[in-house]
Amino acid sequence: MNSQLLQHLYWRAGFGPRPEDIAAGLRPAKALRQLLRDAAPYTPIESPAFHYADPLGAVMAVQPTAPVPAATAMAADLPLLSPRSAALPPGRLAAPVLRRRDLTPEQRKQQNEGIRDAFAAMSTAWMERMATDPGQLREKMALFWHGHFACRTRRPDDSLQLLNTIRQHALGTFPDLLLAVSRKPAMLQFLNNQQNKKEHPNENFAREVMELFTLGRGNYSEVDVQEAARAFTGWSYDGQNNFVFRERQHDAGPKTFLGHTGNLGGEDVLAIIMQQPAAATFLVTKLYRFFVNDVPNPAHIEPLAAAFRRSHYDIADLAERLFSAPWFYDAANVGVRIKSPVELIAGLRRTLGVQVDNALPLLGYQKALGQTLFMPPNVAGWPGGRSWIDSSSLLLRLQLPAILFKNAAFAVRLKDDENDITPQTTSKERTVRNTVGAHLPLAALQHLGGTRAAEQPQQLASRLLQVPIRPENLALVQQAAAKAATPEEQLRATLIGLLSLPEYQLS
Amino acid sequence: MQRRRFLQSSALASTLLLVPKFLHALDRPEARLATLLRDAPAEKARRLIVVQLSGGNDGLNTIIPYRNDLYYKARPTLALKEAAGILPLSDDLGLHPKMTGLKALYDQGQLAVLNAVGYPNPDRSHFRSMDIWQTGSGSDQLLTTGWLGRYLDSSCAGCDLPYQALEVDDTLSLALKGQLRKGLAVKTPGKFHQLTQSRYLSQLSQETAPAAAISELDYLYKTLAETAASADYLYQKSKVHTSAATYPNTDLGRNLKTTGELITSGVESRVYYLALTGFDTHVRQHEQQGRLLGELSDGLAALAADLQKSGEWANTLVMVFSEFGRRVTQNASNGTDHGTANNVFLLSGALRKPGLLNAPASLADLDQGDLRYQVDFRSLYASILSDWLGADDKLVLGPGIERLAGLV
Repeated sequence: MNSQLLQHLYWRAGFGPRPEDIAAGLRPAKALRQLLRDAAPYTPIESPAFHYADPLGAVMAVQPTAPVPAATAMAADLPLLSPRSAALPPGRLAAPVLRRRDLTPEQRKQQNEGIRDAFAAMSTAWMERMATDPGQLREKMALFWHGHFACRTRRPDDSLQLLNTIRQHALGTFPDLLLAVSRKPAMLQFLNNQQNKKEHPNENFAREVMELFTLGRGNYSEVDVQEAARAFTGWSYDGQNNFVFRERQHDAGPKTFLGHTGNLGGEDVLAIIMQQPAAATFLVTKLYRFFVNDVPNPAHIEPLAAAFRRSHYDIADLAERLFSAPWFYDAANVGVRIKSPVELIAGLRRTLGVQVDNALPLLGYQKALGQTLFMPPNVAGWPGGRSWIDSSSLLLRLQLPAILFKNAAFAVRLKDDENDITPQTTSKERTVRNTVGAHLPLAALQHLGGTRAAEQPQQLASRLLQVPIRPENLALVQQAAAKAATPEEQLRATLIGLLSLPEYQLS
Repeated sequence: MQRRRFLQSSALASTLLLVPKFLHALDRPEARLATLLRDAPAEKARRLIVVQLSGGNDGLNTIIPYRNDLYYKARPTLALKEAAGILPLSDDLGLHPKMTGLKALYDQGQLAVLNAVGYPNPDRSHFRSMDIWQTGSGSDQLLTTGWLGRYLDSSCAGCDLPYQALEVDDTLSLALKGQLRKGLAVKTPGKFHQLTQSRYLSQLSQETAPAAAISELDYLYKTLAETAASADYLYQKSKVHTSAATYPNTDLGRNLKTTGELITSGVESRVYYLALTGFDTHVRQHEQQGRLLGELSDGLAALAADLQKSGEWANTLVMVFSEFGRRVTQNASNGTDHGTANNVFLLSGALRKPGLLNAPASLADLDQGDLRYQVDFRSLYASILSDWLGADDKLVLGPGIERLAGLV
């Protein structure tokens, strides 16, 4: 019984229990303290492979003769790519601009592939952390915020900066996180605040901050959106990815926002938003749906929201309350969440200590299942829950263990239209085949199933599944195991059988 | 009820080692669902085939304003000249030279062209604009379900069939994902069937709970059972008819052939979804777009001929769209960049209004260098949902979307 509760905690506060976590058998309260301690340190995710250095940048850069109006920027098809790492010569207003339309087809393809590879390296590195890092709660919380502050860019450096900002503040206070995210080039660009100027306010950022990031619909008026947009005018960034406040573009006139009047700036607006009681309820409801149950329970949420406000939105404090609430361990909340593709794949690696020779093709399966990190479907993030499941994604989920651990033949062709980065790919390039080289450490997993071979399937079922296995399926797994020649193969057959069940899709 | 009968009648369910208890309790149906639907009134058998041109097809070089100086001025090297073999549709507009198949259908009154279709505040990102077209949202609106998925959710006639909407591909597009119901991704009935035939998978418990208040686990098992049963049903059914018609040996051609075979075999699916990709022609557009438009035209002509022969063409409506058109002015690489409004094709053996349905977008009155839309794509959806599929378009698209009267 304790083991089930412990597994529940590890699945929700992280990416599942390792065999040694189960063996340690801590009480959930103690394990939670350990998880909080292990999540305290923060180190950025970094690698030279993430830094997309445009080999053509220096050669191809052309100086804009005049400030580029938004309409022309659009004409060049996608956001202009300016080599932001280059220092600005003194007296220059803007960094040299590399226009995609100035590239030859080969240069364009090379550029697209460079961007794609950088994103793939970043995804792989973060998945690695999720699967192996002791800071499980930080990475899990960061995954939540990554969907909450959903943002797509074509610039790996911008997206990486945003991710590390989110990871850094994931367990800090929400106002700090919100302010830091709001000032990142990725977000300013994604939500068009670069175009939000005194003469022509752009409301996109102001609207989404309230609708999706803090309050939810119905807690502000259209006038509040307009006034907030005015307050955010001038929030911008420079060629080195630093936030800058462009005073000349800022509307310094008086504004009235959610009942407060004055010469409000962006910081004031965010602070006023955080004074609204609706903010805590909105945020805690969303966290509850991610960490506890897709069906929100106001009786659980309201007290948590009140405590969240009192703590000045301390996220670590909220996490501790949530994961130690008695209702968190209610049967009604165990094994009732459909794992996201990221949780499924990171969890598979973590809970079984799987070694992979090449993690890159895993991203292809992840994409086929509907979740590519850094590429949320839109600013509302991944809807989650049952939206992960359709006929094709379910079949792939159920066959993934056989693909990875038995080399079952299964080629899936991805769609062409799922991103804006490499839009012209051949059918062959889009077809995912298993070249992962995933290894189940069978010797290390022997003890997970107990010492008696006959009990192994049942024992492993209770370790790997968060819902009771149907008796007829257990019989099926036992049959499959009985056919294996050696104890090792028996274990492999049992594991693959259990991982291939609909039950394994739940946490 | 229909779903249960269907599950029970499928070969997979009856060969299961573990036949669910509740299925035992049901009466064996006298007649298969197929018979029920075949005997249904004719208008119930109408179906829709959506062909998505991914990447943003250049509508101006598809339906060409070949008498318009502004067109030739904006595209000094990219504009197609009359002498290149433009296929005239009227005194002002002509089809791309490669689209002879569609020209023939046009001459037979089986093709309609709706010009300048788009939406307010157009988005030029492939991803976002496709999201807008697939969900049927406005550009300032975020929806997590697709327009055809919500059609399935809307309790339309036959929508409880798990194979009511099929996408001919390996994975399912957002367009076919509803809140409660989703389409099926079926590259071919054979491949789909094979995927469900892993011995282990086919022996898994198929027990599903009644539809009300099902748990997440029930939902997974329900999806699995419906998938397996559908795969089985489509596979058995598809063996009835192998098309003798010749389709182009291209990916789209093969997918259209699969579609034609399923239709002719009497599969009751009402929606088919297909895609042709590669229209993002920033560079050297001529060759690439010409090839793709030829593929499209040849494939659709083959489908029309095939379905005509089997008497299904008059029950079939094909809609061809792309997420956006391209800019009026060509770029420096003999290509075009992302634009806005675009033309949409409708094909059927029973079009109420064939031909050119409206004037093309003005080349003199541009919006920052882009075409202005005249027809909101959601009006087109509303007409198809209501007037062709007999569904409740308000339920699917929300209020305030005007239908295009008498379109289909």
